[in-house]
Amino acid sequence: MITRFWAETATALATLLFGLVIVYGALEFGTGWDSSGPQPGAFPFYTGALVALASLGTLVVTLAQRLRGAAIVNEIFLDRERAGRVLAFFAPLVAFVVITAFAGMYVATIAYLLYAMRFQGGYGWPVSIAGAVGAAFVFYVVFERFFQIGLLKGPIERMLGY
Amino acid sequence: MKTFSITAAITGAIAFGGAGAAQAWQPTKPVEFVVTSGAGGGTDNFARMIQSIISKHKLIDQSIVVVNKGGGSGAEGYIHGKGGKGDAHRVIFGTNNAYLLPYVAKLGYKFSDLTPVAALALDEFLLWVKGDSPYADAKSFVEAAKAKPMGFKMGGSQSKDTDQTLTSMIQDVTGAKMIYVPFQGGSAAAVQLAGGHIDSNVNNPNENIGQWKAGQVKPLCVFSPVRLAKGEPVFDGKGWGDIPTCKEAGLPIETFQMPRTVWLPAEVPADAVTFYEGVLEKVSQTPEWKEFVTRTAQTGRFMKGKELTDFVAKDDAANKKVFEAEGWIAK
Amino acid sequence: MDNIASLMHGFSVVLTTHHILLMMAGVLLGILVGVLPGLGAPNGVSLMLPLTFTMDPVSAIILLTSLYWGALFGGSTTSILFNIPGEPSSVATTFDGHPMAKQGRATEALSFAFLSAGFGAMAGVILITLLSGWVANFALRFSSPEYFAVYFMTFASFIGLGGASPFKSIVAMGVGFALASIGMDSVSGNVRLTFEFDALLAGVSFLIAVIGLFGIGELLLTMEQGLKFEGVAAKVSVRDVLRTAAKLPRYWVALLRSSAIGIWMGITPGGPTAASFMSYAMAKRSSRDPAKFGKGEPEGVIAPETADHAAGSAAMLPMLALGIPGSATAAVMMGGLMIWGLNPGPMLFIERPDFVWGLIASMYLGNVVAVVVVLATVPIFASILKIPFSIVAPLIVMICFIGAYTVGSKEFDIWVALAFGLVGYVFKKLDYPIAPLVLAMVIGDKAEDAFRQSMIFSQGSLSIFWSNALVSTLMAIGLALLVLPLIGRVSLFVRGRKPVLNAL
Repeated sequence: MITRFWAETATALATLLFGLVIVYGALEFGTGWDSSGPQPGAFPFYTGALVALASLGTLVVTLAQRLRGAAIVNEIFLDRERAGRVLAFFAPLVAFVVITAFAGMYVATIAYLLYAMRFQGGYGWPVSIAGAVGAAFVFYVVFERFFQIGLLKGPIERMLGY
Repeated sequence: MKTFSITAAITGAIAFGGAGAAQAWQPTKPVEFVVTSGAGGGTDNFARMIQSIISKHKLIDQSIVVVNKGGGSGAEGYIHGKGGKGDAHRVIFGTNNAYLLPYVAKLGYKFSDLTPVAALALDEFLLWVKGDSPYADAKSFVEAAKAKPMGFKMGGSQSKDTDQTLTSMIQDVTGAKMIYVPFQGGSAAAVQLAGGHIDSNVNNPNENIGQWKAGQVKPLCVFSPVRLAKGEPVFDGKGWGDIPTCKEAGLPIETFQMPRTVWLPAEVPADAVTFYEGVLEKVSQTPEWKEFVTRTAQTGRFMKGKELTDFVAKDDAANKKVFEAEGWIAK
Repeated sequence: MDNIASLMHGFSVVLTTHHILLMMAGVLLGILVGVLPGLGAPNGVSLMLPLTFTMDPVSAIILLTSLYWGALFGGSTTSILFNIPGEPSSVATTFDGHPMAKQGRATEALSFAFLSAGFGAMAGVILITLLSGWVANFALRFSSPEYFAVYFMTFASFIGLGGASPFKSIVAMGVGFALASIGMDSVSGNVRLTFEFDALLAGVSFLIAVIGLFGIGELLLTMEQGLKFEGVAAKVSVRDVLRTAAKLPRYWVALLRSSAIGIWMGITPGGPTAASFMSYAMAKRSSRDPAKFGKGEPEGVIAPETADHAAGSAAMLPMLALGIPGSATAAVMMGGLMIWGLNPGPMLFIERPDFVWGLIASMYLGNVVAVVVVLATVPIFASILKIPFSIVAPLIVMICFIGAYTVGSKEFDIWVALAFGLVGYVFKKLDYPIAPLVLAMVIGDKAEDAFRQSMIFSQGSLSIFWSNALVSTLMAIGLALLVLPLIGRVSLFVRGRKPVLNAL
C-alpha cells in the first residue's frame, strides 16, 4: 500500500532530478546574456532550475502536511487491489513494446491481442486467435498498402523478404 | 496488392513490371526514400517529385515509401541512413548538408557513413532587398552596408547553414558587417523582407518569387558563374535571366550553389549505386523533371561518379573555410 | 464587392461533379487519417501530394484541403470517445468532450463538436472572402517581437486559470518547455539537450507525448478504478443529433468569441492548436460557473472546436497571400503549390483568380460536405462505445502505439509514449495539471525562438517589445490576461474565500 505522501515525494524527487538533468545539459551552451540576447543554454537552464525549485517546493509542502498530520497525505494512493489491476494492464504494454523492439510490430500486435482477448477478455482460443491475426492484417492493409507507411518490422518479416 | 494504395485507389491501378533495363542489381523489397527535411521543405519536394516521376515512368519495380526525418536540420535522416549500412533499399535525399552538418554539430554520423549516388540540380542563391529600397545594384547596397556597420539586417533560414555561410562570405569579401537574423525557413525570411523588418536576404529563387512578382522585393544579383536561364518576365519586364551575376555586379563571389543530392548507406554493392545512378539519370531527362526545375528556377545539372565527388570536395573545402573562420566547427 | 463577384466565379469553377466527388473522397480519407493518432493531417496531405502532381491545381488543392477538414473532424472524434487527440489541435476537446462521452453523452458531444467546428470554419472562410486584402497587409506587419507577443498572450490566458498547486503548475509547464527545447536550436544551430543520444535529435514529439499522457494515461486510470464505460445508455439516434443542433444557438456567445479567437490566431502565427487552448481558457474564464469545466460542459467542447476550425481555415489566407504556413499541414500544401507552379504571394490572387477563388469557394462547400459526412458518422462512432471494454481497451492500446510509431517511424517513440503514459497517470492522480505541459510543448520552442530573434533584432534590448503600437498593444493585453486573475484570486483570498479549485 502506498500513501499519497510517498507518491508525492517520489514524483517530486523525479521531477527534481529531471530539472537538474536539464540544467546540467544546458550548461554546455552558455546560460548568460550576450550582445545578441540570451545564449542558447539560457532558456533550458532557467526552466530546468525552475522545475527543480518548484519540485523542492512540493517536497516541502508535502513534508509540512505530513508533520502537521494533514489528512490528504495519508490518503491511500494505491492499494494492493488497485495496484494489481493497473499492473495487470500495464505489464502487457511493456511486454508489447519490448517484443516490438525485438520482433517487430506485427508479432507484438498478435501476441498482445491474443493475450488481452484470451486472458483479460476471457474469449475462447479460436476467437482470440482470429481477432489478433485479423487486427494485424487490417493494420497491414491500412498502413503498408493503403497509406504506404511501413510499420516496424522484425526478423520474421525480413525472412519473408520485407 | 498494390490496388490498395491511395495512389492506385484514385488514379487506377499501376501495373507491376515495366521498364527498368536488365541490371545486375534490382531492389527486392519496397524502397525507402529518406527525406532529410520536414514535410513541405525543399528536400521534401525534391524527393516526392522524383518519387512521382519514378512511379509514373515505372523506373523501379518495387513500391516506394517516403519517410520524413528532418530532425536536427536533417541529421536525423542521415543517421537513419547510417543505420541501414549495406542495405541498398534505403535512399537518402538531401543537400550539401550531408557533408557539412558533421562540421558544425556533434552528430552520430560521419560523411563516410554515406555513399554518394548523384546530384540532380543546383539551387541558386540571390541577393534580395526590399522592392522600394534605394539600392539599384549590389554595389550600392554593399557600400551602404559598409558605411553603417551592424546597421543592416540580413535574414536567412536557420543558423550555421547555407544562408549564414553566404552572408559570412559576403562580409568577408566586402568588409561590411551585418546582423544575421536566423528564421525558421526561407519563406519566413521572404515575408520579413517584404514587410520591411529586415534589409536583405539571400533566398533561393522560389522562396522569394511570390514577393518579387508583387514588387515587394527585388533581386540585385545571383551567386552563380553565369546568369540564370532566361524565362518569362516576372516583374516590371524583368525575368530571371536579366539579373546580373554577383561578380558582374561588383560583389566578387564567383559561385555559391546548393546541390540537391541523393545518397545510399555505406558498404552497399557497387551495382546498386549504378542502378540508382541509372534511374536518377533517366529521371533527370524526363520532361516532368525539366518542368519542375524550371518552375522552381533551379539549375538542372546531373552529376554522378567522379564529377560528383569532385564537386563535393570543392564545395566542402569552400564551406569549411568559412566555418573555420567563423569558429563554427564543433569540438 | 469585387470579392463577392470573384467568389461567384470561384463557385462556377468548383461546382462540378468531379470536384464534389474529390471533396467527398478527401473528407472521408481525412476522417480516417484524423482518427488514427500520429498519422494526422500533415502526414495525410504529404502522402497524397505526389498524386496531385498530375492533377490540375484547383482539383489538387480541393482534394488536399478537403482531406485537411476531414482530418480535423476525425481528430475530434477520438478525443471525445477515447481521450486520444487524433490531431494536435483537438487536445483541448478532450477536456470536456471525453467526460461527456463517459457520462453517456457521446452523441451530444460529437454533434456539438462537429456543428461548432463547422460554424468556426464558416466564420474563417467568410473572413477570407471579405477581408483578404486587408488581412494580408496586416499580417505583413508581424515580425519576431509580435510573434513573441502572440505566444505570450496565449500563455497568459492560461496561467492563473488553474486551482492546482502553483508548484505543480510550474513543474508541469517547465517540463513542457524543457521537452520543447530538446533537439536542434534553429537560432544558434546547436543541438541541445540530446546528451549525444541520436534518438533525441528530432526532439520529443508533442504528438507522442499527447498519445501517452492522454490515451495511455487515461486507460491506466480507468483500469485502476475498474470502471467500464460501456453501454452507459449510449443511446444513438439521428434524433439526438438534431436535438443537439437545436441547442447550439444557446451558445451563441461562445461561438462568436471562439470564432474571433480562432480567426485571430489563424492569421497571426498562433495556429489552430494554440487557438483551441486559448479559446477553452477564455470560455472558462468568462463562464459564470467555471467549476463545471472539465466535467462535461458542452461549452468546453464548443469553444476549442470552433476556434480550431476557424483558425485552420483562416490560416489559408496568410498561406496564399504571403507564403506563411499557419500550420504544419499548410506547410505541406505550400510545398504542393510550388510544385504545381503556383507561387504564394500577393500576386497569386491576381494571376490565378480561378485557383484562389476556386479554393475559397471549395472551402465553403468542403466544410458543408464535411459536416454532413461526419454527422452521418456520429451514430457509427458513438456505437463503438457499446463494444465491450475488454475489446476496446486493447484496440486503443494498439492505436496509441502504432500512432506513436507512425509519427516519425522511430522505435524509440513507442518507449516515449509508454513513459508518457505513466507520467500522465501519476500526474493526474496527484493533481499535476497536464494542459500547461502540453501547451508549453506546442509553443514553447516557437516562443523561445521568437524571443531570441527579437533580441538579435534589437541587439539585446528588451525595449523592442514596446517599440511600436502593434507589439505594445499585444504585450499589454498579454500582461492584463496574466495579472487580472491573480488580482481576482488575491481579493478572494483577502475576503476570506477559497478560490475556485479546478483541474486545469
